[in-house]
Amino acid sequence: MANRDENKPTVTNDRPKQRSMRKRYNSHIVYRPDSNMRRPLKLFMTMWRDLLGSRELAWQLTKRDISAQYRQSFLGIAWAVIPPIVAAAGFTFATNSYVLNIGETDLPYPAYVMFSTALWQTFTESVTLPMQKVVQAKTMLTKISFPREALILSAVGQVLFNFAWKLILIVGMFLWFRMPTSASVLLAPVALVHLIVFGTAIGTFLAPMGALYSDFAKGIPLIMSALMFFTPVVYPIPSSEGAFGLVVNLNPITPLLVTIRELATTGIVSDVSGFWSSSILAFCGILVAWLVYKLSMPYTIERMSS
Amino acid sequence: MVTISEDALAEQPTYTESSQNDVVLSVQGVSKKFCRDLKRSLVYGVQDITRELSGLRGSHNEQLRKKEFWALRIVDLELRRGDALGLVGKNGSGKSTLLRVIAGLIKPDTGIVTINGRVAPLIALGAGFNPILTGRENIYANMAILGLSKAEIDERFDEVVEFAEIENAIDSPVQSYSSGMAARLGFSCAIHTDPDVMLIDEVLAVGDVRFKAKCHRKLSSLLELGKSFVLVSHQSHAILNVCSSALYLSDGKFIATGKSHQVMTLYEQDLFGGQGHVADNQLSLPEKNEEDSKGIDIVQIQFRDFDGKTLKNVDVGSDVVLCVECKVHKAYEGINLFMPVREIGGDNKLILHMSSYYDNEKINLRPGNHEIRLRMYSLGLKPGLYDMKVFLKKGSFFTLDVVESFRFQVSSPKDLITRGTYYQQRAWEAVCIDENAC
Repeated sequence: MANRDENKPTVTNDRPKQRSMRKRYNSHIVYRPDSNMRRPLKLFMTMWRDLLGSRELAWQLTKRDISAQYRQSFLGIAWAVIPPIVAAAGFTFATNSYVLNIGETDLPYPAYVMFSTALWQTFTESVTLPMQKVVQAKTMLTKISFPREALILSAVGQVLFNFAWKLILIVGMFLWFRMPTSASVLLAPVALVHLIVFGTAIGTFLAPMGALYSDFAKGIPLIMSALMFFTPVVYPIPSSEGAFGLVVNLNPITPLLVTIRELATTGIVSDVSGFWSSSILAFCGILVAWLVYKLSMPYTIERMSS
Repeated sequence: MVTISEDALAEQPTYTESSQNDVVLSVQGVSKKFCRDLKRSLVYGVQDITRELSGLRGSHNEQLRKKEFWALRIVDLELRRGDALGLVGKNGSGKSTLLRVIAGLIKPDTGIVTINGRVAPLIALGAGFNPILTGRENIYANMAILGLSKAEIDERFDEVVEFAEIENAIDSPVQSYSSGMAARLGFSCAIHTDPDVMLIDEVLAVGDVRFKAKCHRKLSSLLELGKSFVLVSHQSHAILNVCSSALYLSDGKFIATGKSHQVMTLYEQDLFGGQGHVADNQLSLPEKNEEDSKGIDIVQIQFRDFDGKTLKNVDVGSDVVLCVECKVHKAYEGINLFMPVREIGGDNKLILHMSSYYDNEKINLRPGNHEIRLRMYSLGLKPGLYDMKVFLKKGSFFTLDVVESFRFQVSSPKDLITRGTYYQQRAWEAVCIDENAC
């Protein structure tokens, strides 16, 4: 010991200036065993702080994931637009050869399918990406405490990025089929945000459980493809008579999807109240999902590590 | 439960006056339970989540469910600014669990963790590295995960690259890096996040010797800046070099805390099955089973004087005999001893390496007890604590027995001041050489 102290300079006097950033983070933190629900005010403040604190990280993660995703791929960004094109081609071919019997759509059928599939795919991504991000970030989650909201935000970021490329396809399609639009097209992004919020709420809600049980990773894509047939993606809205029509009309995704389509084309929204009830459901859902996600993650991490 | 020394922390030369305000980390009565059965563990996870969401989970979750065990049981610790605490214990004793609770990754089942400042877990180096992306991109992503903003990363980017010594490879994908390079980059990222408390879990075991030494230097300079850390390591010299105090865990339970070399001594006694004895510059080892033995076992290491009397104090400059007692079951020819000596608290440099192989001495042993004696004339090691490994080999390659750590103290009989790296046996005199004057 004696040797060590001899060589060690005394540092009381010349303590250097701390870098300015220090104070900003984690200045005083207490970890307790009991439920955070018992201190709701503190919990909400933490959630808000973490949300704000995770923006930059989310941006970095989105950038990282997007560049990594396309660097190891030959077709790269084309993967964002290939599925709607394939779907449109397939369904158009099937309809034209009377294999499928689909009623009259208000848009040219290929455009209808392509546009709807792009929207549906965006919705699917917003459900599955939060779950995927959490599973992918396993090593990070079990080793580093960063605001967990960043993963969800980066999932949303990636959904938006992918949609931006689909948008090129959609615009091209509008020009090709010379489809008329109205000024209401400017409102379509708002409805699109509601659709993404709806999907993200589901994804965020399921993410902690999805990281525990692999059943979710297998089951969700299956459920999503089944759900597609109960949503007017490749067919027009059926009348609410009959069991099928009833299910499609009760499906909360239907009014969101249909409203986006209508705002982008005719400008006449057929189901305003349906749209707003689905939107309210989406926004309440995302708050609940966020809370569940926030509270569950430490327990999930405990079980999935290390 | 043994508390070896209460004054261990008071001995810290810096920041003692405002000690209460300087507590950066306090852990009080923290427990954590785990489940060994995976399926059941997942079910318990869902249960815990439900209790958390419904607000039913309280502060005392004392009951063990079926197949659960305490990974950590009522552990306390306190860390002040400028403190370095070593965490020792066998595998599965709860060291990493404790670090993960402190890092806020998992919730404790009982007890409270309070942190004043910023905790950077070095638990994983390079967690979040994406192998496809370049070093540059990974630095930005990794440091963002560790909590820095873009501007802050820009500011210290060059420092990070320089410290990691990867200037040439910064724009190549990380998957093309050698494991050492990736580890260096990870360490560099983590250490440049400017945390108040660092949690270091075995990460100093990566990289080559030179880089390790560099990391140690960096850590001690951070310590001097008033940063603190908790270090987990199985290598006793790593803890002894860096940490002034230590905490010993066994099966999740707190065993001892105090000055690091005392705690390490206790830990190593336990490690040798409770029968070994490390004290007074002497080490006794328990007998090995027949399956474990390779024919020759080291049973004791000690110092004697030239008359054969056991020495408890080894004085600098004195003549001593280092004695390695072996139990020989099987005759061997061409036995060699290799004994590297390092200074505890130094920078882990090899101070002395004594080997019969280097000295071209061949030792032949027949069955029975033998003492291999090494005469050391006027001991040149300066006063201090030393850590010696003893390898017993046939030839230079085939290891028959190893003593991982024999610690001894070289003392100075008259409390002389010794500086420099070794002690030169010497005597002073003044002689008049002017014939006319004397």
